[in-house]
Parts: sequence; C-alpha cells; structure tokens
Amino acid sequence: MNKLYLWGIIITAAMLGATYVTVGYQKGGLNGDIVNMLAIAGAVALVIITVFVVIKYVRQMQVDQATGELADESWDNIGEYKNPVPMGWAIMFIGTMIWGMWYFLVGYPVNAYSQIGEYNEDVAAHDAKFEKEYANIKGENLVNMGESVYLVECVACHGLNADGNNEIDAADINKRISEKSVKYVVNHGSNNKLLGMEMPMPDRNGLFNANTGALITDAEIDTVAKYVANGFPAADQAGADVFAGVCSACHGADGKGMEYVAPDIREWSQALVVNVLDYGKIGAIGTMPSMDRLNAKQKEAIAAYVMSLKEGE
Amino acid sequence: MENRPLEYDYTVAKMFMVTTIVLGIVGMSIGVFIAFELAFPWLNTILGPDLAEYTNFSRLRPLHTDAVAFGFTVSGIFATWFYVGQRVLKVSMAESKFLMFIGKLQFWLYVIGVTAVVISLFMGYTTSKEYAEFEWPIDIAIVVVWVLWGVSIFGLIGIRREKSLYISVWYYIATFLGVAMLYLFNNMEVPTYFASGGIGDVMHSVSMYAGTNDALVQWWYGHNAVAFVFTVPIIAMIYYFLPKESGQAIYSYKLSLLSFWGLMFVYLWAGGHHLLFSTVPDWMQTMGSIFSVVLILPSWGSAINMLLTMKGEWQQVAASPLIKFMVLASTFYMFSTLEGPIQAIKSVNAIAHFTDWIVGHVHDGTLGWVGFMIIAALYHMAPRVFKRELYSKSLMASQFWIQTLGIVLYFTSMWIAGITQGMMWRAHDEFGNLAYSFIDTVDVLHPYYALRGTGGLLYLVGFFMFAYNIYKTMSARPVEESELQNASPMGA
Amino acid sequence: MFHWLEKNPFFFAVGVFVTIAFAGLIEIVPNFAQASRPVIGTTPYSTLELAGRHVYIKNSCNACHSQLIRPFKSETDRYGHYSLSGEYAYDRPFLWGSKRTGPDLMRVGNYRTTEWHENHMKDPQSIVPTTIMPGYPWMFTNKADIDTAYAEQLTIANVFGVPYNKAVPMKDGSTKIVKMGKDLKDAQALALAEAQEVVKNMKDQDVKDAVANGEIPEIVALIAYLNSLK
Ligand code: HEC
Ligand code: HEC
Ligand code: HEC
Ligand code: HEM
Ligand code: HEM
Ligand SMILES: [Ca+2]
Ligand SMILES: [Ca+2]
Ligand SMILES: [Cu+2]
Repeated sequence: MNKLYLWGIIITAAMLGATYVTVGYQKGGLNGDIVNMLAIAGAVALVIITVFVVIKYVRQMQVDQATGELADESWDNIGEYKNPVPMGWAIMFIGTMIWGMWYFLVGYPVNAYSQIGEYNEDVAAHDAKFEKEYANIKGENLVNMGESVYLVECVACHGLNADGNNEIDAADINKRISEKSVKYVVNHGSNNKLLGMEMPMPDRNGLFNANTGALITDAEIDTVAKYVANGFPAADQAGADVFAGVCSACHGADGKGMEYVAPDIREWSQALVVNVLDYGKIGAIGTMPSMDRLNAKQKEAIAAYVMSLKEGE
Repeated sequence: MENRPLEYDYTVAKMFMVTTIVLGIVGMSIGVFIAFELAFPWLNTILGPDLAEYTNFSRLRPLHTDAVAFGFTVSGIFATWFYVGQRVLKVSMAESKFLMFIGKLQFWLYVIGVTAVVISLFMGYTTSKEYAEFEWPIDIAIVVVWVLWGVSIFGLIGIRREKSLYISVWYYIATFLGVAMLYLFNNMEVPTYFASGGIGDVMHSVSMYAGTNDALVQWWYGHNAVAFVFTVPIIAMIYYFLPKESGQAIYSYKLSLLSFWGLMFVYLWAGGHHLLFSTVPDWMQTMGSIFSVVLILPSWGSAINMLLTMKGEWQQVAASPLIKFMVLASTFYMFSTLEGPIQAIKSVNAIAHFTDWIVGHVHDGTLGWVGFMIIAALYHMAPRVFKRELYSKSLMASQFWIQTLGIVLYFTSMWIAGITQGMMWRAHDEFGNLAYSFIDTVDVLHPYYALRGTGGLLYLVGFFMFAYNIYKTMSARPVEESELQNASPMGA
Repeated sequence: MFHWLEKNPFFFAVGVFVTIAFAGLIEIVPNFAQASRPVIGTTPYSTLELAGRHVYIKNSCNACHSQLIRPFKSETDRYGHYSLSGEYAYDRPFLWGSKRTGPDLMRVGNYRTTEWHENHMKDPQSIVPTTIMPGYPWMFTNKADIDTAYAEQLTIANVFGVPYNKAVPMKDGSTKIVKMGKDLKDAQALALAEAQEVVKNMKDQDVKDAVANGEIPEIVALIAYLNSLK
C-alpha cells in the first residue's frame, strides 16, 4: 500500500478516535438524539472525504504527467492548458445545483418545515415521555431529581452545598431561617407571598406581646430571633415565652404555621418552597428571583430536595 | 526597450510587505494571548488591575480579528496586487507617476487608518458588529483607502499591454467590488452627535437597521467579508504564485472559468447559514443552507485546479518548502470549504453554532489557507523585489512543519471542544432535566483551550521564523539573473 | 462571451457586480418591514439602560455572550422562551453574538439580580469559582456616558420613530410609557433617578456615594441594562 494511504488512514482514525472518546464521556452521549448523530456523521464525512480526495490528487502528482493542449496566451510566462473540467467535479456541480433547486422549490415546501413547529413537537414528546415516567416519582428518587435541578439552576447563588454565598449572601437553605432574617422580618414585616397569596406580616409596630400588653421590644426581638433560628429549642424558656406571647397567634404554638394565616417557620414544607420559587423573595439577605420557568414537577422535586437538607446531614 | 524585460517598480509592494509582516505579528500575538486567557484567566490582569481594562479578553478579541483580517490579510492582498498586477498586465508602476502617487497615498492613509483602529478599539470604541467594529470616522477613512486601491487597479488595467485579463486579476477585481458593496451597506449608521444637535460623543453612531434586519445585513456582510477577504483574493494569489513558482501551466482554463463565475454567483446567497435557528424566516435559513452545500463545488474547483497543476511534479513538492506551503494551503482550503457546508446543515449547526467548532473552522481557513498562502506569496516575492536569494531554505522547511503542527493542534482541539460543549448543552439527564449547568460545560474545555493556545504559539513561532527569514534575505547573497523565472533561489 | 469579457474590463466588472449584487436584495428586502415590527410588551430602552448597553458594547461582552435563544428544548429550559423577531425591534445594533463562551443573556434579567451582578462583575470567581470570565472592576469607577445615550435616544426617536414618551402596549393589556428627557438636563435627572433605584440594592460604598453626588458609575448603568433583559 502506498505510504500516503497509510497516512490518510492514520489521520482519519486519530480524528475519529478522539471524537469517539469525547462523545463517549458525555452523560448525554449520542443519546438517540438525531442532532448529535448528524453532527458526528458530518464530522466523519468531512475527514474521510477531504483526506481521500486530496490523496487522490497527490497520487497524480506522484505518478501522472501533465498533458494537454496549451492556450496561445501566457501571462508573465504562466501558461494555461485547454483541458476539460474533471468529469466527477462537473457532475457533482450540476447535481448539487439540481438538488438545490429541487429542494428549495419542492422538497422544502412539501415538507412544510417550520422550526417552531418542530420545537413544539419536540417539547410535547419530551414532556409526555417524562410525565409518564415520573408521574408517581417519590421518596429518594424525587429528592435525586430535585438535586439534579438544583445543581443546574440554583448553584450560581446558593452554592454546591446549598449553604449560601457570602458574597451575595444568598440564603443558607440547609436550615429553615437565620437569626438575621428573623430579626429583619420582625422589624420590617414580610410580604413575599409565602402563602401563595398576598398576606403580609406586620412590622414591629403591629406586633403586640400578649404577655406584656406592649409592642414587641428590641430585647424581645433578639430573644425570639435566636429561638426561631435555632429551631425552637425546649431549653430556651425566654424565647418560648416571647414566641407564645407575640407570634403563636399566627404561626401556631409550635411555629408550624396555620393555613391561610401564616407560614411554617420551623421547617421547610413543600408549599413554602414552591411559593418561594414561584414568587421569589425579597428579604434581609437580598433578592431571590422568581424561578417560574420551572415546571410543577421540578418545583415539587426541588422542595423535596430542600426538605431533605438538614444541617449536618 | 522591446528586447529588455520590463523593469517593474515594487516600491508600494515592498511597503505593504512590511505591514503584512508587522500586523501579522501583532494580530497573531494577540491571538495567542487571548487563547491562553481562556485557558488561564489570571492572564486577564497580567499587567495589573489598573491596565486590566486593556488586557482583558473581551477588549482584545476584536483587536485580534481586525488586526489579522484588515491588517495582515488585507496588507497581503495589497502587497501581492502591487506585485502581481504589474506582471500579468505587463506594465510597470514606474510608467505612471499618477499611479505611483496614488499607491503611496493609499499606503500612508492605510497606515493612519490602522493606527486609528488600534487606538480606538483599545479605548473601547466599537459598534460591536463582527469584522465591522469601526466607528464612522474610520469607516470613511477605509472607504477612501479602498477607492484609492480601485483607482490603482483600474488605472493599471487601463494602461496594460496584455489585452486579456489573467485569472488572478478577475479575483482582484471581484475583491474590490465585493468589499466595496458589502462594507458600504453594512456600515450605514447615523452619527448621533450631529443628529442630536451636538450632544455626547462625536465618535458614536447608531445603526440604520434594527434587530433581525441588522442581523441579516451584518451576516450578509460577515459571510461575504469572509468570501472577499479570506477567499477570493487568496485564490488570486494561488493562481499566480503556484504556477509561477513551479513553472507549470494551469491545469484547465475551463475549470478556472466555471469556478470563478460559480463562486461569484453562489457565495452571496449563503450568508443565511450564520443565522440558523434565529428569528429570520425559515425560508431564508434554508436558502443559506442549500447554497452552502452548492458552494462546495466552485470552491473545490479552484483547489483541484491547483492540485492538478502540480500533476507529475512530486519531486518539486518534495524538494521545495515554498511549494509545500501552497499545496497544503489548497488542502486546508478544501477542508474548510467542506467543513463550512457541513456546519451549515441545520441539524449540524444546532450543535456547532456558538461553540469552538466554529472557531476551529475559522482557523482551518485562516491559518491553513490564508496564512500559508500569504507566507508563500511573500517568500516568492522577496528574492524578486530585493534581488537577493532567500536567506535559508532549511529555516523555511522547519517553519513549515512547526506551523503545520500548530494548525493540527488548533483544529483538533477546537473540533473536540466544540462537539463536546454542543452536546453537553443539549443533554438531559434521566429525569428529563438539563444534565449540566453552564459552568460544567466551561470546565471541561480547559485542556482543549490549553492545547489550542499551544498550537497557536507554534504557529506564531513559525511566523517569527518567517519574519526573520525575510529580514535576513534583504542582506543575503544577491541573485545574478535579472529576471528570475521559476523556482525561487534559496540559501541552505 | 467570457473571452470577450476578459478583454473588456469594464463589462467584466459590471458582470461581476450584477452577479454578486442581487442575492443581497433577495436575502434582505422581502422580510424587512415585517422584522421591524415590535411584539407587544417590547419597549424602547430608558436612558440609563441605553447607557448600560453602551458599556456592554464598549467592553465587547458580545464576544462571549449571545442574546439569542434558539427554539430547542435544552435552550428554553436553560434560558427561557425562545427569541421572537419583534423583541429586537429596538436593538440597534443587534447583539446576538456568534460565540457562547459564557451563557446566553437574552433573559438574564429574569433569574439574576442586582446584588448578584454587582459581585459577579467585580470578581466573577467569587461567585463561580471556576469561571473564565474576566472581572470588570474599572466599571465601578468609570462614569457612564449619559449624554451619548441621550443623543442616541434623540436620534432614534427623530430618525426612526422609536416611541419615546408614547404609550406602548404591554402583554397584560396595559400600556407603558418610556420617558425621554426634554433636554439634556432633564435626561440626566431621569437617568439619575433610575440609578438611585438600582443602587438601593448595591453594597459598594463608593458607588453609592457617587450616585448620591449625582454621578453614575458604569456598573450602575450596566446592571440597569442587564436587569432589563427579560
Ligand atoms: C399577624 C400575623 C403574624 C404575626 C403576629 C407574626 N407573623 Fe410572622 N408571618 C406572618 C405572615 C402572614 C407571614 C408570611 C408573609 C409573606 O408572605 O411574606 C409571616 C412570615 C414570617 C417569617 C418569614 C418566613 C420566611 O421564610 O421568610 C418569619 C421568620 C416570621 N414570620 C416570624 C415571626 C415571628 C418571630 C413573630 C413574632 C415575633 C411573627 N412572625 C409574628 C404573620 C404573622
Ligand atoms: C440570583 C440568585 C439566586 C438564585 C438563582 C436562586 N436564589 Fe434562592 N435566594 C437568593 C437570595 C438572595 C435569597 C435570600 C432572600 C432573603 O431572604 O433575603 C434566596 C432565598 C431562597 C430561599 C428561602 C430561604 C429562606 O431562608 O427564606 C429558598 C428556599 C431558595 N432561595 C431556594 C432556591 C432554589 C431552589 C433556587 C433554584 C431553583 C434558587 N433559590 C435560586 C438568591 C437566589
Ligand atoms: C472570556 C469570556 C467572557 C467575557 C468577556 C464576559 N463573560 Fe460573562 N460569563 C462568562 C462565563 C464563562 C460565564 C459563566 C460562569 C459565570 O457565571 O461566571 C459568564 C456569566 C455571565 C453572567 C451570568 C449569566 C448566567 O446566566 O449565569 C452575566 C450576567 C455575565 N456573564 C455578564 C457579562 C458582561 C456584562 C460582560 C462584559 C462586560 C461579560 N459577561 C463578559 C464569560 C465571559
Ligand atoms: C464553502 C465555503 C464555506 C461555507 C459554506 C462556510 C460556512 C460557514 C458556517 C456555516 C459558519 C458558522 C456559522 C455559525 O454557526 O456561527 C462559518 C463561520 C465562519 N467561516 Fe466559514 N464557510 C466556508 C468557508 C470558509 C473559509 C474558506 C473561510 C476562510 C478563512 C471561512 C471563515 C469563516 C469565519 C471567519 C467564520 C466565523 C464567522 C463568525 O464570526 O461567526 N469560511 N462558515
Ligand atoms: C497565531 C495564531 C492564532 C491564534 C492563537 C488565534 C486565536 C484566536 C482566538 C483565541 C480567537 C477567539 C475565539 C473565541 O472567542 O473563543 C480567535 C478568533 C478569530 N481569529 Fe484567530 N488566532 C490566530 C490566528 C489567526 C489568523 C492568522 C487569522 C486570520 C487571518 C485569525 C482570524 C480569526 C477570526 C476571523 C476570529 C473570529 C472567529 C469567530 O468569531 O468565530 N486568527 N483567534
Ligand atoms: Ca462602522
Ligand atoms: Ca464570531
Ligand atoms: Cu459564512
């Protein structure tokens, strides 16, 4: 075999091998995705065709001879043969032109292709498939799905460990709420549609302590903030007193909230997380954008994931 | 007079040879630098935080593209025109004081224009349109330079002795007309200072077109700027320098003819392939794809014509690094003009667009085809304009292999990076959610970016060897013959 | 015929020109009017947003970031609804980009915030440790060019009829008016008022002080622009 062909085969094999290895490493891989497969097919065709067509002509440099009738003219001593055009080239040229005209005038209109139409079909098929497969997903699996969404959508702010980010102070969502946030809410009130509707919590001028008969004080705010942020420890009698006097009316004696009145501030719940995702949140820490482009299943899964994150676990 | 060969006057050609080399070094050094910035981001602040505004990737990227396209390549086009034009038209610049003046004027205005471009881009004056970043005052300067070049072309043609135009001249004429038309329409902009009665920055302008229309005009331009800067004039060069250096006759006049008119007709329709899956109508996108595929044949026609011109001349290819440059340039031309159409197929573009696979395609063409061809052209011209033999053949041969290795590293790494990233963007996991966050798809690219930087560095090293070789040629051994016919004389 | 053309440069040039010229007409003209029409809900840029857009262009953010969401499931999942032609009706120049070294930004206003941008633009690694995006700390001291933004507003309102100070229909059936200053002073005041809104959510004390003194650093304008991308 000629050395050139050997080289051609080596180059082709190296390119294609490298591409194969790359694709093999993907989580998606070819994945039955027609687009992926066409791209690879195109890449394969590109290397093979170029390498072997060029080799064909280089072979002619090695073994053939220049022949033909020279034209009369010459420019700066450059002559010109009157050779005919290479047959294969001419046929392909005419062929592609005919194909192009046919495709534009017949093939394409008859197909009635529209990129938005294709998109709609793709999305419908995709959604149908996963709806069927994951309609009843729960438990560990739902948490895993939630984690997968979290890793793509939320990491940019809340970080890989979901412990927030010091720079932009996105919340640590391993725990229900921080001391700083509780203080802020009690001082300024809250109006983030945590219940899924407009239902504000009053600021400190609307918070009476039933035990003292007076508006909540700075000292009491500090106390209760610690109590709530630490997860309602039984040992914290002072905090429990303030909570019972000021907050339990709305948030319930155990802080688990009351339907239509006030949210659970002890633990994350499905509804609470979904509401944060739907409406976003503006608080002590900063602004959480609403993530309403996620679908219901994804939000449910994220909620399951967030509820599975408890400090230390 | 009749019996003596014409004394061609290469003054202007020499001037543009200098800018070709200088701007090539500038543009490619910036290219290597920004390539490494993507691999090692700390380079963005290499000169300290105070200068980071001028050394960060995004400020420098347009400087790279414009320096290589409008600096290196366009200088190369001018340099070769002022050499080839005289010879194939059989008329010397020395015969017309007027043309000589216009040529020099064009050169100095060009130098002023380039300086203005560099300063303004560093300062952040840009319209953001790729390959048309310049603000309106520079546009005007560019138009003037271009018109002067037109005067040179048609002036020289007007006083020619050779009645019939050689193939290269067809391509130079097309370059002139194509760029003129494209540049004018894409740069229709209103200077806001004048339109608002004297408010704000004098340099600022606003595009006449908005949104989707602006995109259409820009890529009608952008695609054909590639055609009329990186393709058409480079074909002009190879049609002269390859047969001249090898002493072979062009394989087929008919093939030249069909390829030329085919290219002229088909190229302009293909711009839609830059806008696939965008908001321009489906039928325009389809048109872009179809014409891209048809475009393979007129492109390959020229390349095949060149390869066949070397039929039976393997010993020359083997012996002369100068001819090797041109044969490999044809090969890379074929590679990129098959790669482009494949990337223009909608389904393939869905993966390739926005990724490094496109950057890979760009540099197959620019490094392998444009760069090699301009280098070869200058090597061929040097002994003739300086009347010296080329300083070193072995240096040229090493340069050839170093740069070839550089190109191979560049395009394999970008090819793999592009396909990898394109597929990662699309991937869904088993739950039907996106499998990767964006940053995951950036992290995987690190080794490929490092490899690409290395490839680019090798190419740049080769380019320095080229510059050195040309520089030393000026003081090399004088050649005896007054009119060198074929193979360029080279020292060891 | 071709031989004849090759001996007659003038006709040769005309032939080449005609051959290359008409493709452009067929590519660009038929859709021109259609593509200029805004979709409902698209508004012109305010003075500060436009100044921010100039900062974006000045620093060639489009070298790494696209603003074009293609109609693929993977893109609409990642970035939101695919792009519509009419959404770009006020984009001069368009900023679709051709290389996505960083993510698409067409709708980044939906899922990133002022605080986030402030930190990310100053030092991207502090937010995304492995990012290759360079920081842009000088935007915190350079001043935005409000005058030029206003000059551009005047130009596009007069020359292209961009609807400033006019009611523009919104998706929910209401209308919105984007104000443009009566004169330069007025425009500067409008921009400053916008800047004060943005700065409320920012932390950098120098930036806050600058705005309090009536100056607008580039970063404030840029963030106003990024937040407007929805
Ligand atoms: C009048 C009823 C009422 C009282 C009294 C009340 N809250 Fe609330 N609280 C609410 C409502 C309603 C919300 C939800 C507001 C929203 O949607 O943003 C809320 C929200 C909160 C939140 C925010 C939860 C989150 O995830 O951001 C915290 C923390 C909180 N309350 C703590 C307290 C504490 C501590 C007290 C007592 C000092 C208290 N609340 C008293 C009605 C009340
Ligand atoms: C642009 C940044 C950003 C993104 C993206 C983001 N968040 Fe947040 N998030 C925040 C900030 C800032 C807060 C704190 C708001 C406050 O309470 O001041 C927050 C708060 C929260 C809270 C409430 C925490 C609390 O203590 O009340 C939850 C739950 C949450 N985010 C979940 C998510 C999830 C799940 C995602 C992704 C789907 C996400 N976030 C995406 C910035 C972000
Ligand atoms: C060298 C390439 C590069 C340049 C130049 C660049 N960026 Fe980025 N950008 C990135 C990368 C990579 C990311 C993704 C990782 C991250 O968030 O940092 C990104 C992320 C972003 C994001 C977050 C988008 C999201 O969805 O998370 C914004 C906003 C942004 N860039 C704005 C800008 C602006 C404004 C400029 C110009 C002043 C700019 N970038 C210049 C590479 C770049
Ligand atoms: C048959 C000929 C060719 C066709 C059909 C073609 C097609 C394409 C396509 C489809 C793209 C990508 C658009 C995208 O998705 O972003 C592209 C980009 C590009 N090509 Fe080619 N190509 C051809 C030849 C060449 C040659 C010879 C060069 C010379 C150097 C070249 C230079 C470029 C450049 C610079 C870009 C980048 C444009 C940008 O900034 O986005 N192309 N080409
Ligand atoms: C020394 C060798 C070179 C290196 C290392 C290099 C590197 C680069 C890099 C890093 C980019 C930016 C890619 C990105 O945004 O991801 C780029 C873009 C580009 N380069 Fe080069 N370059 C080199 C030589 C050249 C030459 C010689 C030319 C032209 C003659 C050229 C033309 C271009 C063009 C047109 C683009 C824009 C591509 C696009 O937008 O798609 N480069 N180059
Ligand atoms: Ca311009
Ligand atoms: Ca580009
Ligand atoms: Cu193109």
